[in-house]
Amino acid sequence: MRAWAIMLSGLLIWAAHFFILYGIGEFIGDGFASRLAIAALTGVCLAICALLAAAVMRMPPRDFFGKWRMQLAFAGLGIGALAILWQGLPALLA
Amino acid sequence: MSSETGFDPALYARFPTRAPRPDEEKEELAHIWCAPKGWDYLTAVNNSYIGLYYLGTAFLFFLLAGILALLMRVQLAAPLMEVLPQAVYNQVFTMHGTVMMFLFAVPAVEAAGVLLLPQMLAARDLPFPRLSAYAFWAYAVGGLCFFASIFVGLAPDGGWFMYPPLTSKAYSPGINTDFWLLGIGFIEISAIAGAIEIIVGVLRTRAPGMSLDRMPIFAWAMLVFAAMIVIAFPSVILATLLLEIERAFGWPFFDAGRGGDPLLWQHLFWFFGHPEVYIIFLPAAGMVSMIVATVARTELVGYRLIVLALLATGFISFGVWAHHMFATGLPPMTTGFFSAASMAVSIPAGIQVFAWIATLAVGKPRYSAPGLFVIGSILIFVTGGLTGVMVAMVPFDWQAHDSYFIVAHLHYVLIGGMVFPLFAAFYYWIPSISRRPLSDRLGRWVFGLMFAGMNIAFLPMHLSGLQGMPRRVSTYLPGQGLALPNLVSTVGAFLLAAGVLLFLVDLVRNFRFAPGGGTAGNVHDAGTLEWLPTELYSVRSIPVVASREPLWDDPALAARVEAGRYFLPRSATGLRETIVTSPLRAEPQYLQILPGPSPWPIAAAIFTAGFFLALTVQAYGFGLASGLFAVIAVLRWLWESDRRVAAERVDIGAGIEVPTYVTGSASHGWWAMVILLIVMGMIFVMGLFSLAFLWSNQPSYWAPPPAFRGAVPILLLDLAAAALAIGGRRLLLRGAAWPVVAFVLSTAALGGALWLDRGQWAAAGFAAEASGQGAAVFALLALQGAAVATGALMAGYCAARALRGLVTRPANTSIDLTMLFLAYAAIQGLVGALFTRAVGA
Repeated sequence: MRAWAIMLSGLLIWAAHFFILYGIGEFIGDGFASRLAIAALTGVCLAICALLAAAVMRMPPRDFFGKWRMQLAFAGLGIGALAILWQGLPALLA
Repeated sequence: MSSETGFDPALYARFPTRAPRPDEEKEELAHIWCAPKGWDYLTAVNNSYIGLYYLGTAFLFFLLAGILALLMRVQLAAPLMEVLPQAVYNQVFTMHGTVMMFLFAVPAVEAAGVLLLPQMLAARDLPFPRLSAYAFWAYAVGGLCFFASIFVGLAPDGGWFMYPPLTSKAYSPGINTDFWLLGIGFIEISAIAGAIEIIVGVLRTRAPGMSLDRMPIFAWAMLVFAAMIVIAFPSVILATLLLEIERAFGWPFFDAGRGGDPLLWQHLFWFFGHPEVYIIFLPAAGMVSMIVATVARTELVGYRLIVLALLATGFISFGVWAHHMFATGLPPMTTGFFSAASMAVSIPAGIQVFAWIATLAVGKPRYSAPGLFVIGSILIFVTGGLTGVMVAMVPFDWQAHDSYFIVAHLHYVLIGGMVFPLFAAFYYWIPSISRRPLSDRLGRWVFGLMFAGMNIAFLPMHLSGLQGMPRRVSTYLPGQGLALPNLVSTVGAFLLAAGVLLFLVDLVRNFRFAPGGGTAGNVHDAGTLEWLPTELYSVRSIPVVASREPLWDDPALAARVEAGRYFLPRSATGLRETIVTSPLRAEPQYLQILPGPSPWPIAAAIFTAGFFLALTVQAYGFGLASGLFAVIAVLRWLWESDRRVAAERVDIGAGIEVPTYVTGSASHGWWAMVILLIVMGMIFVMGLFSLAFLWSNQPSYWAPPPAFRGAVPILLLDLAAAALAIGGRRLLLRGAAWPVVAFVLSTAALGGALWLDRGQWAAAGFAAEASGQGAAVFALLALQGAAVATGALMAGYCAARALRGLVTRPANTSIDLTMLFLAYAAIQGLVGALFTRAVGA
């Protein structure tokens, strides 16, 4: 499970971020507090992506497969971070 | 090299073995995996047969739904045509969409997985062959009965997404809607059964050495596809259940006048419905990735990025469901989130398209029939993708919503993203299962007709849509500028049909199924393992995989595999078997004994279809009996499984020994049960969402729920049930009777908790028919009731096995799986009791 969690970490964080945003929009509604919460959540998720990316970079790949997994995880964290930022923008810019 | 399981990778150096293998080994394999004769074709479970049955049936539905499309095009060829009366037209467009999406697209790609994956992974078969057979027969029998409803005027007529209130009892009083709601029940079961098979198959039956980074892209695509089914399908299962319950018993989930909300249906449906598009697209994209490398005669460019793109599509596609609801008045901020996600999902699709283009650019492409279909697929899909980005923009969507622009967009996406890749796959892979390949010359004509027909049919629909032609209308007035584009669309549709007809001619002339060997072979000079010589037992020996295109990197591999120089060159136990490997690095873990042919999967499937269809026509007694027989048939097929063989460890080649029976989290059965529990968990979570959604949108109908303190005994009982289930598994060391007693007590505790919970809601004055809140709460209780009943059935099954001495010690898979299920049911009961009291407290 740990290996899968690392490989999919960026996308898992995006999913958590998205569904919390949806929950805020659906069940709490628009307003200053909601937008503040979204800004904070987006910041936290981006920070987690950055921390995990740093941790992945520190993991020594033991062989080609290990290196492949790390690269996949790293790229996933990159695409996850971009998607999180993109997802938060509608609330932050409106 | 590192190890995942403790297996020493240095042992791979023992292969290929040098000693000659006796011919008797091959004869024994052929005997064990012998071809069926006569009626045995109905009881076959081998993936070669089931895969072909599955694919053939899916293609039949493609043809039937295509005929319906032609009927619609004839009706729309000119203004005020009277070929189809309006009511019949409603049934025809509903059936066209439903059959294409549920009976063709998903089953066709699932069928391709069943047919190709074992050979591609060099497994003898997928891990649950009887489950595959059940999935196929439930789909085939139920699907044909469902389709037959159109011949008696009872076909559903509310559109393939069946929006209430149109589909509520008030506006659709006949049984047409029930045919849809119950009719696709068996398709949902079939899809989930197939998904479980594919996930466990891809992760646990790959050839030794085929680590994730060496896995064929098609296998990656099927893995993501199956995982998406597990997450997405529960939503539509719940939605269809709720609407059918509303129609049958008056529980107002979607009735806005009684605290329900019709938008709840749209959320539940599209949480499945939009990922469904990617569920269809991803396997097809996997096929394109496989074919493009071969036709370009080079390695696929960007393998790692394509894997990432498949995974990212799988995730992001779950964030786009409400873009089908932009016109319903969603809150502006929510609309923004879904618009952003809808644009973002084009990025991973774009990665794949660029990778295909780059592969064609760096290689030396052969413009054979599969190559042409791949290129046509890219062009059409990209066009559909671009209009997809257009409708992701909310203001544009408001203008184009429910117009022919959307019809054009979705057909470009689905035909480019799934139909053309499937035809490419036919031309590409048929030589691996047929004595003769299809004709490349005819194939080019098929491609030309289909490509031209597709564009002539659907390109003008963008125009007619922008001119204001709405979807789902049976005719239009003259003088609106719609006659010419509609006439052109009709001509294009018939051109497309001519291409399909020519393909059928090619199929009749050249397709000669050869599951027992003697196929046309590797005519495309491909590099992946499905092109090894195969017979009904798949490959003679299971090779050690050292690269992504083993046949390109080691041209002598096929000969050595056929000479039995790798793993499992013979049957180690005299039974059907395959090697189960670890999920990441594919290290050999144990030998799985595979079940052989059986009449019980088809019996279970017929009774399952009978159950749903009998409920549709309100033959409740027959339906109940049919359901009961379905359960008995499933138990009977399971009865023969989970048995140890005499040899605890066997040599699977070169002196490497593995066990023949494994329990716990390493076993394939455990994995399947966990996936099934995720499906159940998703149904339950969507039920919780429904309750919260109704509370959020219909606060004036909400009443205070029972107090939290009343939940204390419920929680204690559920916790006791979980403890008994987990403890029961440990008690197996003391004797086979102990876990059975624990499981029976656990089930009793679960039943007690449910009885208390239901009683408290009833005592507080709630009734399922009275309000959306009551309906949602009692639906959650009903789900828990179903879990408790299933748990009781499993406990009884364990008791019967214990009585017959089939519960082996110190560990047993049946006991493991029952423990998992009961523990899950306890958690579900506990969460349900707390959540229902928390919402609106």
